[in-house]
Parts: sequence; structure tokens; C-alpha cells
Amino acid sequence: MDLNYSPEDLAFRDQTRRWFAANTPAHEPRTLDERRAWHRRMYDAGYVGMGWPKEYGGQSATPMQQAIVADEMAHAGAPPTINGLGIGIVGPTIIVHGAEAQKQRYLRKILMADELWCQLYSEPNAGSDLASLKTRAEDAGDHFVVNGQKIWTSGGVIADWGLLLARTDSKVAKHKGISCFLLSMRQPGVEVRPLRQITGSSQFSEVFMTGARAEKADLIGRLGQGWEIAQTTLSYERGGNSLARVTRYASAFYQLVRATKELRRQGRPLVEDPVVRMKIGRIWTELEVQRYAALRVLSALTKGESPGAASSITKLSYSEFEKRYHEIAQEILGPWGQVTVAGPDEFSEVETSSGEPGTWAQAFLWSRAGTIYAGSSEVQKNVIGERVLGLPKEARADRAKV
Amino acid sequence: MDFSFTSDQQLLRNSARAFLDERCKPALARALWDDPRGESEAMWKDMAQLGWLGLALPEAFGGADLGMVETALLLEEMGRAAYPGPYFSTVLAATAIVELGSEAQKRRWLAAIAAGAARGTVALLDGAMDWTPAAVATKAERTAAGWSLTGTKPFVPWAHVADVLAVPARSSEGLSLFLVEPSTPGLTLSPVTGMDLSMRWTNVTLDGVTVPDDAVLGAPGQALPLVEGLLRIGAVGAAAEMLGAARRCLDMAVAYAKVREQFGQPIGSFQAIRHKCAEMLLEVENSHAATYYAAWALDAEAADAEMAASIAKAYVGDAARRVCGEAIQVHGGIGFTWEYDLHLYFKRAKALEVMYGDADWHRELIARRVTA
Repeated sequence: MDLNYSPEDLAFRDQTRRWFAANTPAHEPRTLDERRAWHRRMYDAGYVGMGWPKEYGGQSATPMQQAIVADEMAHAGAPPTINGLGIGIVGPTIIVHGAEAQKQRYLRKILMADELWCQLYSEPNAGSDLASLKTRAEDAGDHFVVNGQKIWTSGGVIADWGLLLARTDSKVAKHKGISCFLLSMRQPGVEVRPLRQITGSSQFSEVFMTGARAEKADLIGRLGQGWEIAQTTLSYERGGNSLARVTRYASAFYQLVRATKELRRQGRPLVEDPVVRMKIGRIWTELEVQRYAALRVLSALTKGESPGAASSITKLSYSEFEKRYHEIAQEILGPWGQVTVAGPDEFSEVETSSGEPGTWAQAFLWSRAGTIYAGSSEVQKNVIGERVLGLPKEARADRAKV
Repeated sequence: MDFSFTSDQQLLRNSARAFLDERCKPALARALWDDPRGESEAMWKDMAQLGWLGLALPEAFGGADLGMVETALLLEEMGRAAYPGPYFSTVLAATAIVELGSEAQKRRWLAAIAAGAARGTVALLDGAMDWTPAAVATKAERTAAGWSLTGTKPFVPWAHVADVLAVPARSSEGLSLFLVEPSTPGLTLSPVTGMDLSMRWTNVTLDGVTVPDDAVLGAPGQALPLVEGLLRIGAVGAAAEMLGAARRCLDMAVAYAKVREQFGQPIGSFQAIRHKCAEMLLEVENSHAATYYAAWALDAEAADAEMAASIAKAYVGDAARRVCGEAIQVHGGIGFTWEYDLHLYFKRAKALEVMYGDADWHRELIARRVTA
């Protein structure tokens, strides 16, 4: 056991910190062009697609180096790169399961953010039970015709392409009749309607596919292999970002501490109230435990161990913590926690978990998303129960049939 | 960055697990509940043979010179076995002697402790029920013969079997730590019966207890940092032991949920039970990270070692109570019976929750640091 960073890691962190200190833009990029420009600057410095193999334009970087870059971005308050789903999920899927022509056609444009990607997985009636999805892709000779509806599609409005799961065979067991496609979002058969979230903003959308066209060359893997492919993409990267996430929690935490020194209740600063102090102690305890756990995961990744189903513990842990964190922050801040348009009082402003600036109210609202997206807490607990603890599977109506 | 155990540490854990599984069965713990000493002399001698009693002591005194990570590994296994005996109290007393003791004091006690011939404890809690070392009210006054100690020390672990007690007391010079032998006139021991019958506490009263000059550890008035350090080791050691108890309860709950059938299927197939077990595992794994991070930070003298010790105690104290309690819930009625062993571990976690500062006490320390 040695939780010190190696001299190489420290040197890399130092170099990365200096780069972000010199290059982080003074104000947040707003337009897509500005964001793309920032993305390319980071790409040129070797900070985009770090985990990708060198032969596909990545850096073949170690998990520790990836974690350090993410962490330093959080320290510097650097704007996020774009095309996160493309780089985090679609690219690795093509690298692992795609044909050579697909790699040539798509990978570089994903890295450079020339083409932006979304994920077409969830449907109105296929959420946690994703394998029951109904969108159909029918063989029409030289291409597939896609009909159906997707929902909760992050970045759908700006996406050029989507990684699609669609049913190609309805006569076999539901997991076995699904295939995986690359679908152009820029065609008449695809309509994207933004969905407004409880935060008031629209990061995701509904996607309607009516006679949309998917090329034969854009089938990933074999027909019927879609579920298997989706399972592997879901397990990419969990852990690489957890250190950066804790760093963002911590910088928000210190803003909260500053607020407790400025805000007064019953004639004294909040920070002098023993009840508030207990809450501060409670948040910091849990926050640091998240950091220790992130280091433990990072140590395992560094040794080449794949966390597998245990990554569900990480996801369950941070997303549930984030809700408790913001509930306690709201209790401390009182009405100030509800402010959605930051005024001159700087203590209502904070960085949200998405890395974008907002107010404590928006961060609180966002904290409700983490226990739903990418497999709800309930799904994670099923995975932990069955695959980590080895508890028996539940009797399910749809299992009896297959 | 390596959060995993070395092969030597793995070996230590495996041998501790094997020894305790064989020699420290629940039946032994139960048999000792009615024993006035509450521990097994034979097991103590064997632990000395295995090198556990000198694990963190200097080699010159028969020790292995290992650190807090190794001590925590042993303590985790002891929590898993609900081990009854003065191992950890002796480790704390020995640490005090290693840190501040004179050559003569070290010669007098350390080799005997490593060899299994002496036991010790530290009276960390003071009469006003405050763990804060700076608030110790027990008085030390200079006399012709040395020092006279007066005060009360409640809930001292295993004082009734200790050969030496390390007693913090305050004189005009400040806080000092005195080595007191229990037979000294004026010292009264009265046992306290707690929930965990395998964890013995004693109320110690000092009424003008006279000790010689050479009973002081280090220079008079200089013991505050040492006592604060002992409290941190106590906090991390307790976290390790609570982690072991929690892991045992989780293992028992999961094993039971796989075989116990209701409504024609194992109860572990119901989400109400499965999700509970998943939440328990989450808290156990986070407790592991918190405990060993803190143990490593103490060994490495990391900048955040003090913070990490408080975090480990606060987090694991809450987590272990919940995990052990939920294990009873998963078992249902059988888990509430005296005959079933679950309560041994449930009570061990509960007993340690209040020692070396409870979660609220540590959260105040944490708040003090982050708001400074």
C-alpha cells in the first residue's frame, strides 16, 4: 500500500497544471464554434481521447494520466470538451467492435469533434428494461429502414450521428434480437425535439425516426449482437472521472463554507451554529470518502484490473452522495439555496456537477439526475446483488418466457 | 499509487483469519462472558508467538517494527471474530511508551509486552466525559515522593487485566502521561458491564495515587501531542475493528439470503433484500477505503493524516452500525436471538462507535479544520 503519487505522475500533473493555467480561456466559450475551438486546442495538446490507442489518434495514456488531466481541468475550472459521448462511448465501441472501414470513416472526426454524436438507447417504454426496446430496423436490400422513438437523448439537438440500438429480429429472445447501428441524424426521417428538464434547460431530447435510413456499412458487429455490444460500452470509463468529480464537489464545498461565514442567522454567522457545523462535517466526511474510494478504483485500473460489475458500486456511491450533499447544502443555505438567477451575492453561485457554472439551486436540481441516468440506483443495486454478491436472480415475468 | 495490500500484508491477513477462525470461535467468546478476566491466557500467549503483540514495536524489543496498516489489518480480523481481549488497549499503551518513554521505561515494558508477559491500556476518556485531550481534568501534583494523581477515568478498556495504565493528568506544566500500576494504593477499579460482553470496560478512580518521578513519560507537561496522537490511532484502530464486524455481518446476511426461502424462493431474490445487501456492501467498501487511507496516512505522516483519522472514525462508526443492524433485519427473528452469533458483531461495532470520540465529536474536529 502506497498512496503517494509516483514522481512521473507528479511531473505529469505539474506539466498539465501549467498548460491549463496558461491556456484556460478567461470566459466560458458560448457558441458551438467557440467550444469546438477550445476542444481542438486541448486536442492539439494531447488532452483529448487520451485513453484511445495511439493508432487511432489517441495517446494510449495510463488511467492515472487520464485521471490527472480530468482532475486538473476541474482545478482550473476549464470548460469541458465537446463530443463527450462520441469520445467516451461511440469511439471505443467502434474501436472494439467496428470494421476497419468504419474506423477509417468515423474515428478521427469523433476525436476532432468534426462530427458530434449522441446515443439512441432509451425509449418511452424501455428505460431500466432497455432490452425491451421497440424501435425496428428492417432490411430493405441495400440499407435498413428505421422506425421508432428514442428519448432522454443527451445532445440530440446538436448531434450529427447517433449510436442506435434497434430490433432486427422480433422472433428471438428480446436480448438476442437487437442490433447496433451508426445512424445519421441529418436526414429527413429523423426529427429531434428538445425536452426541457426540471432545471429549465434542455440538454436532452426526444428523437423520432420515421422511415429513416441506416446504411448496411453502418451496422456495428453482427446482426443480433447489439445487446452484447451495449453491455461493453456501458462499462467503459467508470472511475477515470471520479477524482475530477470529487475535486468539483470540493471546490463547491469551499464556496459553501465561505457562504456560512457571510450569511447570518439569529445574529451570528452560520458557521458558529453547532448544527450547521455538524452538517459541514458530515458533507466533508462523505466527500473525502468518495475521494479515497476513487483512488482505490484508480489504483486497480492502474494495475490493469477491470472493475467490472463493481463499477456499479462507484456509480451508486457518488450519485447517491451527490443528492445528500445538495440536500444538506440546501438546509444550510435556506432561501439563498433557491436562487436560480445569481445576483450580486456571490454565494448563490456554484459550479454544477456537469462542470458548468450555475447556482446552488441548479446544482441541487441536477443532483436528481445522477441516480437515474446510465442505469438507475435500483438497476445498480440489482447488478451489485446478483453479480458482486451472487444473490439469486429474481423471478421475472419476461424471464419465464425465454 | 497503490491501494492494494503487499504480499506480506496479505499473508498477515490470511494467517490472522486462519488463526482466529480456528482459535477464536464464537463459542470461545461466549464461554468467556462469565469469566472475570474475559480473555484467554492461552490465546494471548499464542498471539505473542505469532508476533502480533510486538507487531508495531521496535525490533530491539522483540517487535517487527511494522505500521498502522498492519495493525489495522489485524484489528479488522479481530472485529470479524469479535475477539475478546486487551490486544488493542495494549497496542495503545505500548505506542505511548515507544513514543515518549525513557530507555528504562522501554526496557521495563516493551519486551514484556511483545513476549505476551504484560498487558496495558490508556485512560483516554476523562471524568467530564470529554475525549478532548486539552480538557483533561485529572490533576497531577508534585510531592516529595514524585507525583500525586487525583481524578476519574471512566470506560477504560481492559484496565482490570492491565499490568500498566497510561494515565493523562494535568499539572502546572501542562498535560503529562503517567505510567501507573494498578496495585498502587488509591487506585480503584470498578467494572462496567456494557452491551458487548467481550469488550470489558473499567471505571478507574485515582484518589491521591502516588507515583515516582520516573512514572512520567517524557518531560512533564509535554504529552498533549502524544495523547492526541494516541486518540487518532485509537480512532483508526476502532474503525478497522468496526469494519471487520460489518464485513462479517454482511457476509452472514448474504449467505442467509441465499438459502432462506419464503414464498417459494430464496429471500435474496427479492429486491427488498437484495437492494439492502447492495447498500450494505457499498458502505463496507467505502469503510475499507476510509480505514486504510487513514492507516496509511498515519504511517506516511501525510499532511491530511489527522483529518483522515477523524473521517475514518466518523464514517465507519455510522456505516458499521447501519450494516450490522441491517444484517439483523435481513435475518428476521433468528437474528434477534441470543443463540445466533450475529449480535456478537453488532455489539462490537456498537461498543467502538462511542470510543475514541464518536462521529459527532470527530465531525466537529473536521468542521474546525475545513472552516479554519
